[in-house]
Amino acid sequence: MNVKKAGSANDPLWYKDAVIYELHVRAFQDSNSDGIGDFPGLISRLDYLQDLGVTCIWLLPFFPSPLRDDGYDIADYTSVNPSYGTLDDFKRFLDAAHQRNMQVLIELVINHTSDQHPWFQRARHAPPGSPERDFYVWSNDNQLYKEVRIIFSDTEKSNWCWDEVAGSYYWHRFFFHQPDLNFDNPAVLNEILVAMRFWLDLGVDGFRLDAIPYLVERDGTTCDGLPETHAIVKAIRAAIDEGYENRMVLAEANQPPSQLLPYFAEGDECHMAFHFPLMPRIYLALRQEDRKPITEIMAQTPPIPAICQWGLFLRNHDELTLEMVTGDERDYLQFAYSADPRMIINSGIRRRLAPLLDNNRRRIELLNSLLLSFPGTPIFYYGDEIGMGDNIYLGDRNGVRTPMQWSPDRNAGFSRADPARLYFPVIMDPIWGYQAINVEAQLSEQSSLLHWTRNMIALRKMFRVFGRGTTEFLEPENRKVLAYIRHYDPDSASVNDTSAASASSGDSTETILCCANLSRFAQPVALDLSRFIGMVPIEMLGYVPFPTITDQPYTLTLSPYSFFWLELSSQYGSPGQQPQQTS
Amino acid sequence: MTMTTSTSETEAVHSSTRSAAPLIVLTAPFGQEAQGSLDETLAHLESAWPGESILVATAGDVTSTQPSASTFGPRLVTYAQPRVSAAAPLLTAANFIMAAELVKELNTPTCLMLGAEAQTVTPEVLRAFANALSQEAVDLALPCYHLGSRDGLVNTAMLYPLTRALYGASPRFPLATDLGLSARNLQRLALSARKFIHADQEDALLWPVAEAAAANFSIVEVDAPGRILTQPAAPDLNALLSHVLGSLFADIEARAAHWQRTRIAKPQTPVFLHPSTEPEHDAASLVSAFQLAYYNLQEIWAIVLPPTSLLGLKRLAQLSPADFVMPDSLWARIVYDFILAYHMRIINRGHLLGALTPLYLAWVVSHFNITAKQSSPMAHREAVAVAFEADKSYLVSRWRSPDRFNP
Repeated sequence: MNVKKAGSANDPLWYKDAVIYELHVRAFQDSNSDGIGDFPGLISRLDYLQDLGVTCIWLLPFFPSPLRDDGYDIADYTSVNPSYGTLDDFKRFLDAAHQRNMQVLIELVINHTSDQHPWFQRARHAPPGSPERDFYVWSNDNQLYKEVRIIFSDTEKSNWCWDEVAGSYYWHRFFFHQPDLNFDNPAVLNEILVAMRFWLDLGVDGFRLDAIPYLVERDGTTCDGLPETHAIVKAIRAAIDEGYENRMVLAEANQPPSQLLPYFAEGDECHMAFHFPLMPRIYLALRQEDRKPITEIMAQTPPIPAICQWGLFLRNHDELTLEMVTGDERDYLQFAYSADPRMIINSGIRRRLAPLLDNNRRRIELLNSLLLSFPGTPIFYYGDEIGMGDNIYLGDRNGVRTPMQWSPDRNAGFSRADPARLYFPVIMDPIWGYQAINVEAQLSEQSSLLHWTRNMIALRKMFRVFGRGTTEFLEPENRKVLAYIRHYDPDSASVNDTSAASASSGDSTETILCCANLSRFAQPVALDLSRFIGMVPIEMLGYVPFPTITDQPYTLTLSPYSFFWLELSSQYGSPGQQPQQTS
Repeated sequence: MTMTTSTSETEAVHSSTRSAAPLIVLTAPFGQEAQGSLDETLAHLESAWPGESILVATAGDVTSTQPSASTFGPRLVTYAQPRVSAAAPLLTAANFIMAAELVKELNTPTCLMLGAEAQTVTPEVLRAFANALSQEAVDLALPCYHLGSRDGLVNTAMLYPLTRALYGASPRFPLATDLGLSARNLQRLALSARKFIHADQEDALLWPVAEAAAANFSIVEVDAPGRILTQPAAPDLNALLSHVLGSLFADIEARAAHWQRTRIAKPQTPVFLHPSTEPEHDAASLVSAFQLAYYNLQEIWAIVLPPTSLLGLKRLAQLSPADFVMPDSLWARIVYDFILAYHMRIINRGHLLGALTPLYLAWVVSHFNITAKQSSPMAHREAVAVAFEADKSYLVSRWRSPDRFNP
């Protein structure tokens, strides 16, 4: 029997200040030389993550599964895939992470199960109309819900699949071997809550809820984010709040910003949701050297409840999804970022961050600076902190799921197994191979991307404004420059009040001017900072004071792909200046 | 908590207003052999608050030979003695927890913690503490000791200038053994102390000035002439520095987000330093220790310090004891770089702190030379503090961008 353990966070809004690191147990570290990463291996790498500045680990699915969709086809919700270790191993990992002040977010796929799940096996053998059968969505023909789009359009031709045993079609929004659960049946929600409580009782700090727009189906609709689906999410949230403190729910809903708002509801559905539409527009803005795609989508992003937060990312375990851009934009992005047709999947681009940016260090730093300074919680995908490459010759999205590159040793230090036994081969080409790109080398090189990333994360964590502040985009004439003000006033009633930032802001407030040059050439910019007259911008990384702001346009020159984070200070004392009393 | 009173009248003798005498917590034990000291302390307390009832908490089983008035005067409350600091007679996490529990239990709004040799705290100083604590806004009152010119050098070299530069708070003895505290400040300190207790570090040090600055609490300084401070029984400089600086550097690391946004404090009114009664130090032996370390610790210093500092040390190593002067800015940057190395865990932290000791000895010789020839001890203390303030931006920039490729 589980003893109900408290979550590790003390602050109910911990996720606002978090730095999340997404990883797959399978890909991180193998401890028993079977070629597959596992929990003991992950435990051995926690110090690395702590040193990097990570405060929350997001684990991709680690449950028993036939692994036909990299674990997103769950066959048992309350156990650990034996390849990754045991439940006790997981508990040890959880304790070890918590000891390092890191929260743990696990992935729960509740829209569907594997067709190997006992629930489905039971359902297909049960008579129509029986409680067992009713766990999934069945139909005698494949004409129901015809308006619903197919997500995995490269591999699936229909959302219905004929089951010979049941003599009926079953509904699936993803792969055919992933039948959707029937949330119209209250018993399904009850079983899902049992699974959630199982992990929460162990002390897990939150869930990333996969594919939640698709929980409920209704004919004549797109079946995306129906009111009935939101009722289910609300019920899940209520059950979590009722029994547990300081836990978090992160929604995966690939939707336009306005349609994402219902997933926050009144702060009583999800605490966080990914800002999917922003991510491709960052790449668009960078390639077009024009801030408009970013400012446009941010202008369309509605205010969210005070306790809620956006989840921001540059890359993740999936393809760079292009569902949230227009047809022309999608074509442009595919031309711009996927020279080889093998890089395309489901109309997205299956590449990692560094290859997308042609391994250009300045571009990588620039995009990371946006990730760390935009309003929301940054999420890093494992390996991107060292600029890992991908393998487009592996199928599906597996090219971005290769083993973590720890050292130039055999199998990149990931495993001592025979290389042929690895779940996927390590990357070995001359540019991206583990001999060239690995943690060990970058730790020993002070000016490596890894050190830079660690410094930037540490800097972000010193200022609450990044996680909790307001954002206001400036409109300088030069559109190659993206400039925005982040402002945080702990005493402000509204987190969405951007007008509060001014030279008269109090001591406890934080005001930061962020400037990014999206161009490959140096750019000048003149900013209207007149409301901050008398304040001194201090370049935050080097703690360098810039000229005091006057009533004239504030001019800056940015080198190619460079950025500034400037703290606007009203009390900066230059060396030798008469100091001030604080007590 | 185990607590007993020497009288049967355990009812609250304190009003909950700040005008009443604070709860006096004597943090150092008084054994039978120190009966006279306890009596002298109690006499000073009675003299400081004539006609008032005063609760005095002291460690262990003690009795007073002082005549006990039925209503007024000191009343003893005893508590179990916590573990004392291993390296020096300093206030520990256990002391703060004990004081916080006493304040909570006895419902007193303020507390005055007095360290060892409490009998040397005069009634005037006690009254000064009381006056400071009687102000509602004051949460922390620290003494400004009048030490000999060669006393308190660790404080002059590092504790005072670092506290002033990093936290914008200017009390000259941030690690004082006597403290006046509001109840809320004490509770906050106790909260910090509990983290150490849970880690079985009862004798861990706390940094009340940094804690108060982080909480935006008001801090005042109380002039404390005549106070005699206890020296460590067997002074092992290396152990003492490791204990104190290890604690300070860890505290600085934990408060990085705060001190990197705190501006500097205003300068203090000078306080007279007495001529030292200590024997003259042997400058030649200290310089020789530094020179030996210069050759033996090069490897460590080279990974902690940037080339400009290493060059400065090389020049120092070539000076004779009589001409030995370390620029204040060099010293400030050395300390800052050691703080950074501590934070970055560049090498084992124990080894790191050990490598700072000969540099501190070099500073001591330099301080003696400067105060003998160029300026008063008081002026040099302020000059060092100003140097730390001037180079605070150096620490912040190194902290945020700790690339070793720097000047």
